[in-house]
Amino acid sequence: MSFQGLISGSECAVPSNPLSQVLKHTEGDRSLQQLHQLPGTLNPTSNEHDVALARQFFDTNQQGHEMAPSFTIPYALGPARMDTMSGPHLHDAWVKEQQGIRPFEELANNAAWASEFGGSYSPSPSAQQIMVSKPEYQRPSLMSGVVMHGGTMPVTMYGANNVAHYGLSANFNVVEGKGKGKSREADFEAAFAQIAASLTPAQADVSGFVEIEDEATDIEESLKNVSLNVSESDVEHGTDFQKVWDQLQKSELPPPKEDLAKWEAEFSQLMNAQRDELDDYGSAMQEAWEGGVGNYQEGTHGENPVRFDAEGIPMLGDYVFEQNNKYLGQPPSSRSLLDDAKALLEQNGSLSEAAMMLEAAIQEGQLGEGGFETWILLGETRNMDEREDAGMRALTHGVKLAEEAGAPGAGMLSLAISFTNESYDRASHSMLLRWLRARFPTLVVPEETIKAMSTNSAWDTHTRITELFLGLARSQHDQGVMDPDVQIGLGVLFYTNGEYDRAKDCFATALAARPKDYLLWNRFGSSLSNGNKPEEALGAYREALQIRPTYTRAIYNVGVACLNIGADKEAAEHFLSALSLQQSTSGDTSDQLWFTLRRALLSMNRIDLADLAKPEARSSLELFRKEGFDF
Amino acid sequence: MSDDIKVPGFNASELISGLKDVFEKYSDTERQAQIKKTNGIFELQVSNDAKETATWTIDMKKTGTVFKGKAQPKADVTIILSDETLIDLANGKLNGQKAFMTGKLKTRGNMMLATKLDTVLKGAKAKL
Repeated sequence: MSFQGLISGSECAVPSNPLSQVLKHTEGDRSLQQLHQLPGTLNPTSNEHDVALARQFFDTNQQGHEMAPSFTIPYALGPARMDTMSGPHLHDAWVKEQQGIRPFEELANNAAWASEFGGSYSPSPSAQQIMVSKPEYQRPSLMSGVVMHGGTMPVTMYGANNVAHYGLSANFNVVEGKGKGKSREADFEAAFAQIAASLTPAQADVSGFVEIEDEATDIEESLKNVSLNVSESDVEHGTDFQKVWDQLQKSELPPPKEDLAKWEAEFSQLMNAQRDELDDYGSAMQEAWEGGVGNYQEGTHGENPVRFDAEGIPMLGDYVFEQNNKYLGQPPSSRSLLDDAKALLEQNGSLSEAAMMLEAAIQEGQLGEGGFETWILLGETRNMDEREDAGMRALTHGVKLAEEAGAPGAGMLSLAISFTNESYDRASHSMLLRWLRARFPTLVVPEETIKAMSTNSAWDTHTRITELFLGLARSQHDQGVMDPDVQIGLGVLFYTNGEYDRAKDCFATALAARPKDYLLWNRFGSSLSNGNKPEEALGAYREALQIRPTYTRAIYNVGVACLNIGADKEAAEHFLSALSLQQSTSGDTSDQLWFTLRRALLSMNRIDLADLAKPEARSSLELFRKEGFDF
Repeated sequence: MSDDIKVPGFNASELISGLKDVFEKYSDTERQAQIKKTNGIFELQVSNDAKETATWTIDMKKTGTVFKGKAQPKADVTIILSDETLIDLANGKLNGQKAFMTGKLKTRGNMMLATKLDTVLKGAKAKL
């Protein structure tokens, strides 16, 4: 930036408004202003606001040229002109200028300034007052220059009051300066320096200081007297701006205390307001993500905490096979164990027994189609038998094998449902997305959504995946197709979100295509039951159990519905019958069933019986039969 | 029934005291299973129509208990809601997210945990 241009009168009078230099300042020195005014935080908006204000001003100024100014202040100087004050010879030039080089234009400036103040800042009346009340004073323009300069500062930081305050103090100092000529000037400069110092160096007009040192030593001295660090540190001639700024930045001149305090209060108020509103979304998510849900580092005693992979899928460990499996080590028959199990499932046989067969089949290497079929079937069977944990492990393994075998998609929907039941929402969403992409490879999935699966919260992923499923379901509907699997996926999504009404509708739609699907009937019922309609749910469960009487999960759900209705005894009977079904085949029973049975017994206020259902006390179910439970 | 946990003028009193009974009768393994599933400390700040406020804490992280008053040392999530909303949440008329979105429920802390609240409040949940 050339300073010659600023100093010389000729350039000043050239087309561009001298005040336009202020704009350059605001734009050019932004970084430093930020540093000084917002220690620790950058607030770009305030500066943009600043620049915008300056722009706005110059725009109005252009219009001001045409308008006949009615303002009566003789002359107004921009702060950029401060430097012209420093030398006596320049002073003369200034007087000449004042006497009418371009009074109209300057007048227009002032009017524009005033209107700007009037429009934007409350202190404007006082600023105007200063200017108006001192017209006889030799250089009212200087003050207005100071005030104006204040006006271009970021308003968000330094309250409007400060501007007025500085303006007034400038006024004071000037009035007190009674000398003539140079001494007066020195006084004024001292006063200005004081103000400038209190305004923080970033806001002071540096060009002024540079020129002062170059051209008037007495002023330099007076500047030293008011102990402005800059004047001491920079005695060289022709120093470039950057250097001065650097020094200013390094100088230990503290920002005004009261402003700092005010700013700090304002800042913390703002921050607190935001915190109250939403807490810190980012960090909350981060926390939730790092801990799965909650913090597993502390407080969880007992078993090892569940760990999750990047997409929120729990790492459950390997499937644990039954110890005493009567199907193991049997002489090979004509039919494979896998086929036997399938046949058993087909004939409505015991789920526990089928699961045992499938386990044996896996242990003997009968993995079925693609090496994953048996695993997935085992998982699904376990889930139907109300053994979510075992089912989830088997399905996780099966899905992994299927992906490795190049047949992704198999078992994923079942696994997603399993995750949903265990409240692993993110895992469920990830699995549904994987299933969707495997099943519909042509479907366009935004890159962002895929990324979001491992970074964003369950709320966000839920919205994204639901959008995908809805879009797909709509386009299918347009083609006159209804894919029950897509409807199931959508139903599960609504279910995880607690939108049981919509989930119910999805399952009902799917049921229209597969009326004999007992799994669907159960899911339909669950949606009703959790949606606070347990009575209606019972009808759906009945349908499921008519098709598949050994469907343990449906029996369990009937019990839950009874519990929610308040029919505790009936609930207990259902749980007991499910338990006896499991016990009759393998002897092994589902913890979940016992757990809920205990709950029902507690609701009946039969603590004695509830104690019998404790894991360590589980004995014969006959005890309960003797107590009058009919199952 | 434990009456000391109830706060007069709050319908949720019954719900909370019921919850406390259930929690107290859990066996250790059951309690741990429940803790494992939830793993969080909820602080409920419930206000009623008379502008009174009651605070309950559901600790589903360390002790597996319900008690009146603030969480010690601090809750993972503080849930601020009305008596009515709490009842609706518990009986499934409303879900956590919907309540949050409509401003009926406000949270401070780990809001992901807030979604688990209805699972905690609801006695037994049907499975898909």
